[in-house]
Amino acid sequence: MRIRRRDVYGEGRAARALTLNSAKRALRPGVLWGLVFGALVWSSATTYVKAFPTRASRLTLAASMRGNSGFAALFGPLRRVDTVAGYTAYKVGYTIIIIGAIWGLFIATKLLRGEEESGRWELFLSGATTRRHATLQACIGLLAGATGVWLTTVILAVPAGATKSAGIASSAMLFFVTALVSVVVMFMAVGLLMSQLATTRHDANLFGGAVIAAAYVIRMVADSDASLSWLRWASPFGWIENTHLLTGSRGVAFLPIVWFVVILVAVSYGLASARDAGASLLAGRDTGKPHTLFLGSQAGLSVRLARGAVIAWTTIFAAVGVVFGLVTVSAGRLLRASPGMNRAFGRLGAVRQGAVIYLGAVFLIVAILIAVAVAGQISSIRSEESTGHLDNLLVRPVRRSSWLLSRVVIGIVLIALAGVVAGIAAWAGSASQHAGLGLVELLEAGINVTPPAVVVLGVGVLAFAIVPRAAVMVAYGLIVWSFVVDLVAALFNGNHWLKDTSPLSHVTPAPAAAPNWESAAILVLIGLATCAIGVAIFSRRDLVSA
Amino acid sequence: MAKTTATLAELGRRADAGDDGAMYALIDVAAELGVDPDDYKTWTALASFAESRPKAKAPRRRAKAAPAIRTQGLSKSYGDTKALVSLDLEVPKTEVLGYLGPNGAGKTTTIRLLLGLIKPTAGRSEIFGIDTQRDPVAAHKHTAFVPGEVSLWPSLTGAETLHLLGRIHGEVDIAYRDELVERFDLDPSKKVRAYSKGNRQKLILIASLMTRADLLLLDEPTAGLDPLMERTFRECVGEAKERGQTVFLSSHILSEVEALCDRIAILRAGELVEVGTLEQMRHLTALQVEAQLDGTVPDLSRIPGVHGFEVHGKTVRCQVTGPMEPLLRALAKAGVHHMTSREPSLEELFLAHYGGSDAHP
Repeated sequence: MRIRRRDVYGEGRAARALTLNSAKRALRPGVLWGLVFGALVWSSATTYVKAFPTRASRLTLAASMRGNSGFAALFGPLRRVDTVAGYTAYKVGYTIIIIGAIWGLFIATKLLRGEEESGRWELFLSGATTRRHATLQACIGLLAGATGVWLTTVILAVPAGATKSAGIASSAMLFFVTALVSVVVMFMAVGLLMSQLATTRHDANLFGGAVIAAAYVIRMVADSDASLSWLRWASPFGWIENTHLLTGSRGVAFLPIVWFVVILVAVSYGLASARDAGASLLAGRDTGKPHTLFLGSQAGLSVRLARGAVIAWTTIFAAVGVVFGLVTVSAGRLLRASPGMNRAFGRLGAVRQGAVIYLGAVFLIVAILIAVAVAGQISSIRSEESTGHLDNLLVRPVRRSSWLLSRVVIGIVLIALAGVVAGIAAWAGSASQHAGLGLVELLEAGINVTPPAVVVLGVGVLAFAIVPRAAVMVAYGLIVWSFVVDLVAALFNGNHWLKDTSPLSHVTPAPAAAPNWESAAILVLIGLATCAIGVAIFSRRDLVSA
Repeated sequence: MAKTTATLAELGRRADAGDDGAMYALIDVAAELGVDPDDYKTWTALASFAESRPKAKAPRRRAKAAPAIRTQGLSKSYGDTKALVSLDLEVPKTEVLGYLGPNGAGKTTTIRLLLGLIKPTAGRSEIFGIDTQRDPVAAHKHTAFVPGEVSLWPSLTGAETLHLLGRIHGEVDIAYRDELVERFDLDPSKKVRAYSKGNRQKLILIASLMTRADLLLLDEPTAGLDPLMERTFRECVGEAKERGQTVFLSSHILSEVEALCDRIAILRAGELVEVGTLEQMRHLTALQVEAQLDGTVPDLSRIPGVHGFEVHGKTVRCQVTGPMEPLLRALAKAGVHHMTSREPSLEELFLAHYGGSDAHP
């Protein structure tokens, strides 16, 4: 039989298959994040125009913010906040930068070290490719993901900036989005390198997370004092600041970014061929003495498996609380000078003014973070089932309901810890600045933002019981939905049924307003009831693999 | 814990005096309490400790009369695909049953239904008289399961995994566990992620065998094991059988099934097509006959029960189902120089069931 040339899977086709596989898996979340980033830019520009409609109000805002090193340390230097462009860059820049960096890292470690850990990478390597080429092909796939973020953000952000009231030139907005997405690319490169160094995806994420933290801290120090501004050149986040987002667009500042990516990809390319498939340069400890503290029951195992995430999230909430507490006084001064901002917060339910308004807004961000932490628990629950680990428990005398309940309890403990720790930490930070806010007041504010996370937990558990393969998407989807609905709702007065579908919109901005414990109790009841239904349904369905 | 305070003290004294039975009983007690007997200087000390602990639970109630496994019309469908069709099967206690079938025949589906991991579309299944869908936890107290594809928590070491799975099961023969670790040559200090496929398989085998469960459900248990370890596995199953444990062995290794099993069940496209001992199956299937004749080979096509014949000069090969007499009479007329006959191997039986239209069961 004659074999036609096109029937033979040559190197070119094998390479394309690997690239397409990586691209497919990076593109979908890339487009989703692009939608979120675009919505953020659009919302920020629109809010500014509405909150500061006159030239005078904008100049007052700029004057009140000038010289505030606390804000500069947290969110970067203030440049032209009397314009829509300057304010938008300042307002959403660091939110997008941090999310982009984390996503870039996670998607890279997932498609490289994650694939290697699961053994799928060896299948690719058994095809017509080499370790080095496979790494490069995965990089091209990752680049498709970054392109997805860029394109979707551009599609939403450019028209938002081009309106007459915003007046941001399309070229400036394109530069802005490109600079923001370059963070994604930089941390994809970091993830690529960490995938060569670490033994597991978990370790690669940990090392990459340390790089993000170090880069942020260096940048914070650089922005806290003018004499230390040279330190910006030592941090990838500093390089982004040096591009002067929407306030000058300095293209030359892209040079270190390009070099950083090229060097990291080149080093990873070299390391990929220097090591064995499945091995790593920083080999983890593969032996150890048995630690059986939590290994006496399935509930203990659940605690052991979740404790890393719980500790990490609790630390994050403590840090976030302290940092935001530290700048409460400065933020209060700024907000007192801005009637427009006060009106905007008023639409969110704030009844007081000054520092408490700032903390009210901050705690709404904490509410989103707690919900994200809980969605991570849903992902972990589903992962136990899809990997087959759960089979090992359920073929022994373990009730399905007991196992899922123990995971629900861990989720609730995480939520409670997050709220309490954030409240106490915010009080500690604000007390050091003599903000005059009480511990009970801020503790209440912390607890006040936890009910939406209980709803996310409940909906996630219910989805896990009914549509296990879609459970993670449903949990994160509910957060994104709530966030977007809240953003849109904040721009308009009045109630709308759409607003009621967002668990976040039922939270009052405490301490700027008194907590609405009745709404909180209803949200908690909804969350717990859906959890209970989910647990009952899970006991009756088939176990479903990946 | 089944023992009374007085019995425990007595067991301790007897174990210290060298009574192996008392010693094993105390090992069981230690496993129930989740303590390591090596932590106690004497058996009496362990017995005293056990006395001081509150009584955990009554001895397990076992349905003496019920078979180890009983399924009635057990079926499972995924949409239009019928994974298992009305399975009626009974496995008496202490039997080793080989469960054979090609890929996708429904073997793993049967085991997952028996374990209550998936729900049947129709029918029911029992383990020692306990409905596995209504009360899977009670059924699991009598069972230990070895999956064909092992997936364990990569961050735990082998020792931690054995500790965890033992504590969750509730009953572990610690001395036997340690013996199994030696026999399977497993390094329990390694993390699961560092184990090869074979070592992960050994780990889950030890985790199941150490429980001395009444019923062992084994789904391709030797996948990835080297021949030496496979032999160790066969020895362990033999010991389990001697101890009165029931074994349900799903395997593709026919020599393994042939060597270990009392009865064999053959599954095809979700349906049970054959159950019986190897001997019974052989009687129902064709005998392989080869004869070298002095004269010309006669026409065998009209002889009842003879099929699949091949003629090479004066040599004939054929298969015979039923009585041999008509064939022998026909061959004798031509003068038989040399003749052999043998029963089919399990492999031939298996292929006869799956070989399509060419096969002659």
